[in-house]
Amino acid sequence: MSRVSIIALVVFAVLTGLVLSMRLPAARRLQAAMLEVVRPLHTATNGVGSRLNALGSGLKSLEQLERENADLKVRIAELSTTNQMLSDLGSENDSLRKALDFKKRSGFNLLPARIIARSTATWWSSVQIDRGEQDGLDSDMPVVTDLGLVGKTTTVGATTSYVVLIADENCKVAATVEGTTETGILSGGRASGATQPDLILGYLSKSAPLQNGQKVLSAGVSGGVFPAGLLLGTIRSFQVHELDARAVVTPAVDLSRLENVFVVRPIPRATAVDAKPPPARGNRP
Amino acid sequence: MTTAAFFGVVLALDFLAVVAQAYCGPLPALSGARPLLFPVILAYGALALPFWAALALAFFNGLLWDALTVQILNPSPYVQGQPTVEIALGWSVLLFGVLVILVHGLRPLFLRGRWELHCLASGTCVVAILAVQYALVMFHRGGLVLPLDFWARLFLPGFFAMLIAPLVYLALLAVAYLLGYPVRINVAPDRRDRAQDYER
Repeated sequence: MSRVSIIALVVFAVLTGLVLSMRLPAARRLQAAMLEVVRPLHTATNGVGSRLNALGSGLKSLEQLERENADLKVRIAELSTTNQMLSDLGSENDSLRKALDFKKRSGFNLLPARIIARSTATWWSSVQIDRGEQDGLDSDMPVVTDLGLVGKTTTVGATTSYVVLIADENCKVAATVEGTTETGILSGGRASGATQPDLILGYLSKSAPLQNGQKVLSAGVSGGVFPAGLLLGTIRSFQVHELDARAVVTPAVDLSRLENVFVVRPIPRATAVDAKPPPARGNRP
Repeated sequence: MTTAAFFGVVLALDFLAVVAQAYCGPLPALSGARPLLFPVILAYGALALPFWAALALAFFNGLLWDALTVQILNPSPYVQGQPTVEIALGWSVLLFGVLVILVHGLRPLFLRGRWELHCLASGTCVVAILAVQYALVMFHRGGLVLPLDFWARLFLPGFFAMLIAPLVYLALLAVAYLLGYPVRINVAPDRRDRAQDYER
């Protein structure tokens, strides 16, 4: 072995030792920095991909566009009316809470985000979004779509973040089954890198009166990450084991087709009632 | 100078392969198996580059891969403590280093034109990387769980790597010729001395 090879081997061993002994906060900072380095590439590639997709699916006739426009106008009117009604109900709810001397409930505001890259690992399920610390994000913030829960943020960089998906075994959610008092822990299965994996709702009682098609919602434990009432999925099957029972749950959100998501940011208690969501950056949904 | 230039090209390709990995999603028809591109470049580097450059490539690749894949999670809100991680930053550096050292041992044969070694090394590296990752995950989470999909996700990426390895080999062979970097040597009897020089 030549002298250069020996020196290279020693340098490699020392550097590897240094990296292995790195503390987790430092590792997280390094990961966040690396996310920022690759972000422009991911954003650019994602943009090209989106344009190509739009080119393929966006060729519509004028008649189709007019029809779609008319449908959307009706939908906007419908949603505006519902929003107004909910806003009235919210005010009424607040005044009733005040009258009963209840604590003000913390509100949430939704920050739209776009998925710019998917997990590169085989054994984990995560995505990268184009929002970070500069947008007020922190780790452990729930990420949702209009259909239900997607996951939670983990490492947060300046302008980009990692989101671990509910299909990952490490993303555990306290869950309850609609119409019952059953609660359990929902998580993904081992080796959950599949495109549309099943979720497992564990720690249920053996005599749980569950039926296929029942909705599974987040239980919202005190001090936890996920607020109560977020749709997680629907029960597909129920299996009784030696100590407990488990249900196989089909996720509410198609995790393989995610494009736009919302990060749930808490509103400080003092301004929870009066605060309005900030305007979305850009023209995202 | 030629070696440094060729090393730069391989390093840049490796970086692009790791970044492009985000667009090689799991294939639903094949149990969610996901093609891995960067081990093909890593195996090529281990065979074609001198020892110091192959180790540098392993370090760069391992650090980049770990930084982009390691999942650092906060502890449960009911447990006081530091964030946790299943595979700490640096494990891939160590693993890639070991793989590169082993594959580099085949360099003399590779320099004599045995391109199929790159093909085999690529497939082996992919399977080894995935197997070690999964073993560490199982060690951390507990329980020996080997679902049917696991085997497909372990071996099919290795097969994909072996399929694309010849293309990568040809592309980098062209680059090597352009830069004047010797990745194949003439082993005719009268040139045997030159071959031995390269191997050193």
